[in-house]
Amino acid sequence: MIILNVIRVYAGYFFLIIGSLFLFLGPLGILRFPDVYNRLQAGTKSTTLGAISALFGIGLLEPGWLGKIVILILFILLTNPVSSHAIGRSAYRSKVPLCGKSVVDKCEEEHIYKEAK
Amino acid sequence: MRHIFALIVVGTLGLGLFYTLSHIPFGKGLSEVSKYYVENAIDKNDPHAGATNIVTDIVVLYRGFDTLGEVTVLFLAATGLSVFFFGLKKKEYTCEPSLIVKRGTGIIFPFILLLGVYIFVHGHLTPGGGFPGGVIIATGVLLIYLCCRDYKAPHSLFKVIEGSMGTLFVIVGLIGLIVGGSFLFNFLGAGKTGELVSAGIIPILYIVIGLKVGAELSGLVKDTMEDV
Repeated sequence: MIILNVIRVYAGYFFLIIGSLFLFLGPLGILRFPDVYNRLQAGTKSTTLGAISALFGIGLLEPGWLGKIVILILFILLTNPVSSHAIGRSAYRSKVPLCGKSVVDKCEEEHIYKEAK
Repeated sequence: MRHIFALIVVGTLGLGLFYTLSHIPFGKGLSEVSKYYVENAIDKNDPHAGATNIVTDIVVLYRGFDTLGEVTVLFLAATGLSVFFFGLKKKEYTCEPSLIVKRGTGIIFPFILLLGVYIFVHGHLTPGGGFPGGVIIATGVLLIYLCCRDYKAPHSLFKVIEGSMGTLFVIVGLIGLIVGGSFLFNFLGAGKTGELVSAGIIPILYIVIGLKVGAELSGLVKDTMEDV
């Protein structure tokens, strides 16, 4: 039982550190990446994982809060990808150009948003 | 030249403000009002102050008349904006919102309403209260507008809620005036601090404010998104 508790606490710290690492890397990516789409990836993917991981770590450290934290994680899983999808889609539809180094544009190739162009 | 002029104006204003404000004592002892709050709300000498934090007690009980003023200011601002937007042609959207956004909104909308209601019902127990709760409800309405292009909000319902809630606020205050001798007197007593049904009129007022602000801002969202 004590062993389990120790594992729980260390796993909690592990998830907290992973979460803070990703929450640090997200803003760094927003500063470093060249265009909207890359920045969107840094700003939303890493914060989704970072927030979920940090919250889960807190939940492991304080088991009484785990129920609320599961609800919070579900909320982030539901809203963060949807909102980043909406931002990316509207950026593409209002013809924000890709950066010069990008080589693949699947939407262009497959004419997904052809009617908007 | 313009920048230098602006710099001079801002610098003079800043120096003047700093000079004037530095004469006002700050952090040296408590003023009369602060002493009253400390004795009555923090030390719980007042049998009518029943919220779990002092800010709620001050904002809703001791300065409830102020809050009525704030609600009025918000009402005036919303009315002014709707006058401004009246007859203005709104932007036409060229494309439908994507399926993902529509589905996501369908899932998240009831929970947004629930969160708003939760926040203003628990106004006397948690940080929050009527204004944030109402704003959250209005964001839900905005989300519906963003994902359904042909949605029409029930404007008359908003107006009815807004008006009746404003009247209810004043009626609660007047009952306090009749029973206790002062406007917004807490005629229900404090009850047991920390329970959902406690703190007398604070939850009533917060529900009133929450519904009023929610209806008002939803009407505002409607005015900005629809052709009137």
